Amino acid sequence: MTPFAQVRLLLFRSLREGARNPVLAYALPVIIPFAVLVLVAKTLYRVTDLPGFPTSNYAEWMTPAIIMLTAMTGVGYAATSLVIDIQSGFLDRLRLLDVRPTALLLSRVLFDVARVLPAGAVLLVVGLVLGTNLNEGVAGVLLLFGLLVLWAAAYGGLYFVVALTTRNAQAPLALAPLFLPLQFLSTQFVPESLLPGWVQAISAWNPFTYMIDAGRAMTTGPLTAAPVVKAVAVATGMLVVTQVLSRRAYRRAMGD
Amino acid sequence: MTLAIEAEELTRDFAGGVRALDGVTFAVDEGEIFGYLGRNGAGKSTTVRILTTLLRATSGRAAVLGHDVRTDAGAVRKVFGAALQDAALDELMTGREHLEMAGRLVGLGKTKAKERAAELLESFGLKAAADRIAAGYSGGMRRRLDVAMAMVRRPQVLFLDEPTTGLDPQGRRAVWELVKELRDGGSTVFLTTQYLAEADELASRVAVVHDGRIAAIGTSKELKDRLGTTTIRLKVAPEDHRRIRDAVHPDPVAEDDGWSEVTVLGGEAAVPSVMARLVGAGVNIDGLAICPPSLEDVFVELTGTEIEASAGGTDVGKITAVRRGLGVPTGPGR
Repeated sequence: MTPFAQVRLLLFRSLREGARNPVLAYALPVIIPFAVLVLVAKTLYRVTDLPGFPTSNYAEWMTPAIIMLTAMTGVGYAATSLVIDIQSGFLDRLRLLDVRPTALLLSRVLFDVARVLPAGAVLLVVGLVLGTNLNEGVAGVLLLFGLLVLWAAAYGGLYFVVALTTRNAQAPLALAPLFLPLQFLSTQFVPESLLPGWVQAISAWNPFTYMIDAGRAMTTGPLTAAPVVKAVAVATGMLVVTQVLSRRAYRRAMGD
Repeated sequence: MTLAIEAEELTRDFAGGVRALDGVTFAVDEGEIFGYLGRNGAGKSTTVRILTTLLRATSGRAAVLGHDVRTDAGAVRKVFGAALQDAALDELMTGREHLEMAGRLVGLGKTKAKERAAELLESFGLKAAADRIAAGYSGGMRRRLDVAMAMVRRPQVLFLDEPTTGLDPQGRRAVWELVKELRDGGSTVFLTTQYLAEADELASRVAVVHDGRIAAIGTSKELKDRLGTTTIRLKVAPEDHRRIRDAVHPDPVAEDDGWSEVTVLGGEAAVPSVMARLVGAGVNIDGLAICPPSLEDVFVELTGTEIEASAGGTDVGKITAVRRGLGVPTGPGR
């Protein structure tokens, strides 16, 4: 079987497994972003009255950020599953069937990405119901989901590095709340100009900020090259670094 | 003729200076069932992991059907099937899904994989549970499914690492039958076990492995003839014990529960002459049993402990070793 076919078969296995554990696999990425979007849009909408706030539609301000957030709230499930595959001996079982170990790793990374797509779609619909306008049309939405996929793989990569380095299936759970500070230290709730100086400094180093800014360009507009290129560069960089590190840890965890 | 499996001076060191294998050499012919017998920790699983390309040897070389496990691992992985010691299943996948996935992975088409899975579910007695997820399987069912996965591609060489540990007698029989069928079909089977009866029943040749080395290798009969002991057990009146000792000297004698147990140093061939001497000495025999050499004796002789001792508690094991090995010097030093 070709390596590509192996990845596809193993991805199918993950998706089917997810369907047997649907709350953890598919509902978790939706729940927190959904709650944040609805609660914030319904309780804090008057922040748009602040001088310098670029829009009066707070739901529209929040929606692209929240869609990017889906990549960060349910993350870690695939990394945990991979550690369990290693510890249970299932990886060895697959290797005995001539599966390349990287095919299993890749199938789990892709699973992390696949889980985010329905979540992103649900939140887009919720955003529309709350009054978000998609000024950049279908093209913008397609770009948004393209970036979401890339971001999910990049951010999920962090969890693979942690899980495979510690070889502890619980470790990704412990790291799950990382999305909380990252939200506040970004431009998710208010524009950069309204953040305190020290937060602005951190926000500029927060990769999530770049995803949010590009997401807004793709939905509210105007769609310009600069934020998109920056976001793609940041996410790709993160993806490459995390994949290199997790592959190295993966080899060590296989224990030869 | 190509050998099915060759191992030459295999060693493997683990972190912390633990030497799991220490210069293991053996060769397995095609079509043979090769029993690899040893206690827990003797080095059985390490050997299997090296031969199946999962683990690199620290030194030495090994080949499966002529393909070097190190330099030609890809070719090796295409010819064997293997079930490791711990049945590794995906808890959220059904038995059928496991087998179908395994079939696809080794290159069967969709339909062929489904057919093969159905066949194996039937022959391993898993048909009724085929569509339940593995999380609900009993220990025996898990093991059978794992062994079935190893057989998905009808392997030329099959590695089974303690395939019947944890199986009930019927399950054990079923695995035995399948192993024999595979052999009859021309496959080679490398079988590790800690059950002497299993090695005796199945293996054409047996290697006894102890502390990372091969302690002896040969057919079960060869090993018994060379290393086993024949004993004569006699039920006699207490006053006859002395007479027995004098009659059979220098063969060692032990007394136990009104029985005298004579270890016949000359092996089975010497039994008639020993009996003649006993009768000649006027020993009044109330009961008699002649115990031919067993693989268990061989094991005790080679390793200084009984194999089942490792499965149970050490203390219990020692006592049994002494009782069973009456007259045979035993001890950890041997």
